[in-house]
Amino acid sequence: MKKKGSEVRGQGSGVAYATFIAYCIPYVLSILFLFSLVTTSHARIYIDISSPGARKLPVTIITTGPMQSKEIEWIVKSDLDATGVFEMVDPDIPGAEIIVTLDVDMSVGLKVVLSVRDLIENREVLKKRLDASTVIIRPMAHSIADDIYKVATGKDGVFRTKISYLKELASGKKELQYMDWDGFNSKKIISRGLTTSHNWGQDGRYLFYSSERKRQWKIYVLDLDNFTESLLFSSKGLNIVGGTSPDGLISFSSSKDGSSEIYTVNKYGKNLKKLTRAFGIDVSPVFSPDGKTIAFVSDRGGTPQIYVMTSQGKNMRRVTYEGSYNTSPAWSPDGEGIAYTGRSNGKFQIFVVQSDGTDLRQLTFSGNNESPSFSPDGTFLVFDSDRDGKRGIYVMRSNGEAQKKITSNRVKAMTPEWSPYLKK
Amino acid sequence: MVAIFEKIILLCNIPNIKGGYLMKKLVAVCLLIFAVSCTKTYTRPSEEEVKPPKEIQEEVMKVEEEAPEEIAYARDEQIGERDLSPAEVAEVAKMVFSDIHFDYDKYNIRPDARPMLDQVASFMSENGDYNIVIEGHCDERGTNEYNLALGERRAKSTKNYLVSLGVSSPRISTVTFGEEKPLCTDTSETCWQSNRRAHFVVTGRR
Repeated sequence: MKKKGSEVRGQGSGVAYATFIAYCIPYVLSILFLFSLVTTSHARIYIDISSPGARKLPVTIITTGPMQSKEIEWIVKSDLDATGVFEMVDPDIPGAEIIVTLDVDMSVGLKVVLSVRDLIENREVLKKRLDASTVIIRPMAHSIADDIYKVATGKDGVFRTKISYLKELASGKKELQYMDWDGFNSKKIISRGLTTSHNWGQDGRYLFYSSERKRQWKIYVLDLDNFTESLLFSSKGLNIVGGTSPDGLISFSSSKDGSSEIYTVNKYGKNLKKLTRAFGIDVSPVFSPDGKTIAFVSDRGGTPQIYVMTSQGKNMRRVTYEGSYNTSPAWSPDGEGIAYTGRSNGKFQIFVVQSDGTDLRQLTFSGNNESPSFSPDGTFLVFDSDRDGKRGIYVMRSNGEAQKKITSNRVKAMTPEWSPYLKK
Repeated sequence: MVAIFEKIILLCNIPNIKGGYLMKKLVAVCLLIFAVSCTKTYTRPSEEEVKPPKEIQEEVMKVEEEAPEEIAYARDEQIGERDLSPAEVAEVAKMVFSDIHFDYDKYNIRPDARPMLDQVASFMSENGDYNIVIEGHCDERGTNEYNLALGERRAKSTKNYLVSLGVSSPRISTVTFGEEKPLCTDTSETCWQSNRRAHFVVTGRR
């Protein structure tokens, strides 16, 4: 995805021009970029998503092409709509400030010419041609949505990221899968053994997970580039993976010495460091986005609560005080907030709190809701819920708005983890 | 072309640009733009011909590669138990121990579990060829990870109790399944209680 970001700049989207103004450009510029600078005159950020309660940007999307092009349009609309910062305006109705045209050609493979036009200043702010050798509607549509989102907000969209989760095959049998952010396109990853906790490496290439095989809980890592699994860490007792740090450390809990404590290892499973020493249960350690802090669950105070400490195991501090059961912490990408599962009136709900323990907010209210995980830009939270009777994966905005089930009612699914931006 | 030139002038006058050096860079770039524009015959600057987005093609390939059979699983070494002989299997089948149960979010041995633990302990002392595995389980409520740790505590406290009755520690191994292997899936206290359990599996002694 990083690569893609630079590509977009190279193609001279309006945003690229904003970057141009902000940082000035390096010497080396491609001819293409020069041309596109000419075609796309000055740009602005249409919506400042960092300011709360900002107005929505009215957008009209017009698609031409064969029948399936309507599906592309529908997916793009649905992506943009989910963010809550766009207002979709029908082409017949005036009021749009941005008009997006998609010229879809499916005579050979799938080709889309994407144009974004600023109707207020009456000029084109992005023109881009997307080619795929075969008809892959969904990745194409999500890619287009990412482009439009970037032009409008100046930020990278998350529409091509993935969500890993567990699908229940039968009672006592779960399979690790991943899917697109909107719940489509799910793929089986690991079905061997009993797999539970899982998390993504920071570059999106590796998936770490704990699996029980032959009554041993070990931590494995799967290289998604070649689907090769390696053993990361094994010992006597229970080993459950937590999270990963920007410099490649993996945090996990292990009962190798008796009680469940927090440890870190490097990506080769070496350089083991023990960070906690307490009677009782310490589990679910996750690194803050800068890698300097670890949030985890401990029952050292009598009930399971969220704690934070440095990544060296120092300066331990309790974060949650409300309620008697607070677990599964997840950091917001800006490193300020922690989402977690808390029990309230006998039900489990998703909460968000600042890492200093202030500004506690409850985001869910219906059924049991667990296992929150932020999208890499912090716009969304994914979690699981049994509110409609069958546990499934839900996505909401990180303020709790627009909660929507993304897995089918036919499957029982749980424990989602949102991927980072993916390189591809 | 005039319009383009105007835009270039506009570019060069952006107030945000810091410092003369950068300005020079900009001017150089503007000139380059101009030069490039001039070498072309006058056509409307077309949309940039972007290379086929590699990521999309690659994703297709990846989708095709995702047959689960192709996953190269890590090797797992066998741990300290041997397979039972058919005669032993028949013997073990007669020796089925009931589960013992726990209170919600607790792992202490309840008084009602003691008779069964006494039975297990006497079986172990009379049958030196067998080992035992204790599985710790939880009900569905709460987080999977925390429940795995809780299930482990249940298995270990059961083991400790058997050791206190004289069973040698190396003959007892423990494993947790947390809430992953429920006996029933209703949303009721009866069901939850039956899931909060330690389960005994007799294995061969190595």
